[in-house]
Amino acid sequence: MTARTRYFVIVSLLVLGVGLGTGLVAYYVGIPQSPFSRHAGPPELQYVPRDAAILAFANVQEIMHSDLRQKLHQAVPGGENGQAELQTLTGINLETDVLRVVACAYPNASTTNMSGDGMVLATGTFDETKIEALMREHGAQVEDYKGTRLLVTGVSGTQPRRFALSFFEPGLVALGTSDIIRAAVDVHRSGDNPQSGTPSVLGNEELMTLVRGLDTGNNAWAVGRFDVLTSHAKLPPNISTQLPAITWFSVAAHVNGGLRGTLRAETRDADAAKNLHDVINGFLALGRMQAGSRPAIQAMMQSLQLGGDEKSVSLSFDVPAQVFDAIHH
Amino acid sequence: MATDPRPRTLTSAVRVFDLSLGQMLWSRRSLFLGVLLGGPVLLAVALRAVATVFPAGFRVNGAEPAGASVFGFMIWLLYIRIIIPLLGVFYGTALIADEVDDKTITYLFTRPIPRRAVLLGKYFAYLVCTVLLVLPSVMLVFFLVVPTGGTTIAQVFPSLVSDFGMLIAGLSAYGALFAFVGTRIKRPLIVGLVFAFGWEPAVVLSPGYLKRLTVAYYLQALVRHEQPSDSPVSMLLQVFREVPSVATSLVALAVIVLLALWAAGHAVEHREYVLEQ
Repeated sequence: MTARTRYFVIVSLLVLGVGLGTGLVAYYVGIPQSPFSRHAGPPELQYVPRDAAILAFANVQEIMHSDLRQKLHQAVPGGENGQAELQTLTGINLETDVLRVVACAYPNASTTNMSGDGMVLATGTFDETKIEALMREHGAQVEDYKGTRLLVTGVSGTQPRRFALSFFEPGLVALGTSDIIRAAVDVHRSGDNPQSGTPSVLGNEELMTLVRGLDTGNNAWAVGRFDVLTSHAKLPPNISTQLPAITWFSVAAHVNGGLRGTLRAETRDADAAKNLHDVINGFLALGRMQAGSRPAIQAMMQSLQLGGDEKSVSLSFDVPAQVFDAIHH
Repeated sequence: MATDPRPRTLTSAVRVFDLSLGQMLWSRRSLFLGVLLGGPVLLAVALRAVATVFPAGFRVNGAEPAGASVFGFMIWLLYIRIIIPLLGVFYGTALIADEVDDKTITYLFTRPIPRRAVLLGKYFAYLVCTVLLVLPSVMLVFFLVVPTGGTTIAQVFPSLVSDFGMLIAGLSAYGALFAFVGTRIKRPLIVGLVFAFGWEPAVVLSPGYLKRLTVAYYLQALVRHEQPSDSPVSMLLQVFREVPSVATSLVALAVIVLLALWAAGHAVEHREYVLEQ
């Protein structure tokens, strides 16, 4: 074998060895996402544990500075009370400090009621010292969980719960039920490794397929398991049997001068999609009749478009800024 | 006690392998191989660049496809349907035919080694040469494409390992089959191309038992990725797709390799190659 053949064989085996080694490390130990790799949705999803029943996102800055929000702010001036209260409690100014928010919810598998676990991940500029001091004033205690500092507080009531707050990264605060915050720490520490038993929502292919469809052109979206939510809601049997066979639902909206968005429901089968399509079509016809001579409502009803495919139904809407002007005046 | 002065087949095959590997790697055919295998890598680089540079990423029908799906699509369309059969045809048919065309077969056959050792050595050189080029190409495509669109390397890694096994099985089977064709037929390249890109796709597409007389039928059963439904032909393939079990496919491919190599060795031992003047 000549020297250059030997070098070729060595280089080729080296490429294979490095590749297989990296793959094995990723599979058994987990590796963090590379800065050059990009997944659908915001980067905070790497902290969200896999089986979220609801996952939601909002680009707070875009929504807060949208023309629509400014109009609503002028029309309903008392709306900033909640904002002021939040600022007093945590020192967070929603208008200037928070860039975006990711929220997730998990039903409690052991019960059939709606009280489950949840977490909000907010990205922005936060005064960590002030927030910690305020939390301590309200009885929160500092705990260490696998090297991550948690501020844990209990809430008494019929169902006592424990809530936790933690700064996962500079400018990223997580707030939620204690169990989910700990699970989020585990997910991040394991580097989204399926072998560790704590994969992130990025590995939930079914959910991420929906997120990919919502991620572009919308500044707020939510996606969830309809069947999981209804199974945990205490609905009377005559209502629960009448509910359409929806598996996933999603809502996406772009807020600017107006409001544009899409509601989508994935059904169990083609028959369920057809039934749901017919029901919504009926409601739309009724709505158009009721709109009568009110031009603002008429314009809004005209913007509703019903669509979908074999196993999904979608309702898109595009409410222009003029409609909000007309309602305001 | 008198001993056989002719070296054993395996020892001779190793010597032929050592000689042939370098010849095969640095031949004009390798340029073609480089272009063939560089194509998917360049495509993967382009897809990755789009996914990294543009926030919306690479989109199909308004949605960003998962990296795992794109990788599976590339394995199906580029490697299984084109690259593996093409490498088998070009290299397999040339193992003996090239020596005949270059009139150098006499030099090999006048050496004190069994004739089948020449074929075996060249076959192993083909296998090592193609495996060392195809697998790194697939590896690069994997690491470029998979982390886009929300999938992680950890999720798809097990399928990469099985893809490697499947590709080695495909290269072995096609190489052995076309090595046999190269030893028996005068214009082996044309026959090989007709078999790989005429007979196989047509038979696999149609219902019935004839598909069992192809390599693709057994090879495609080893693929873990979902078959793409990108064209009417692919949709027909899915309708008539009859998938044998993995064990059946592995046994069938092993039988194809052993039978084809035995037949090719037999042909080389007994055939009288007449060199054109």
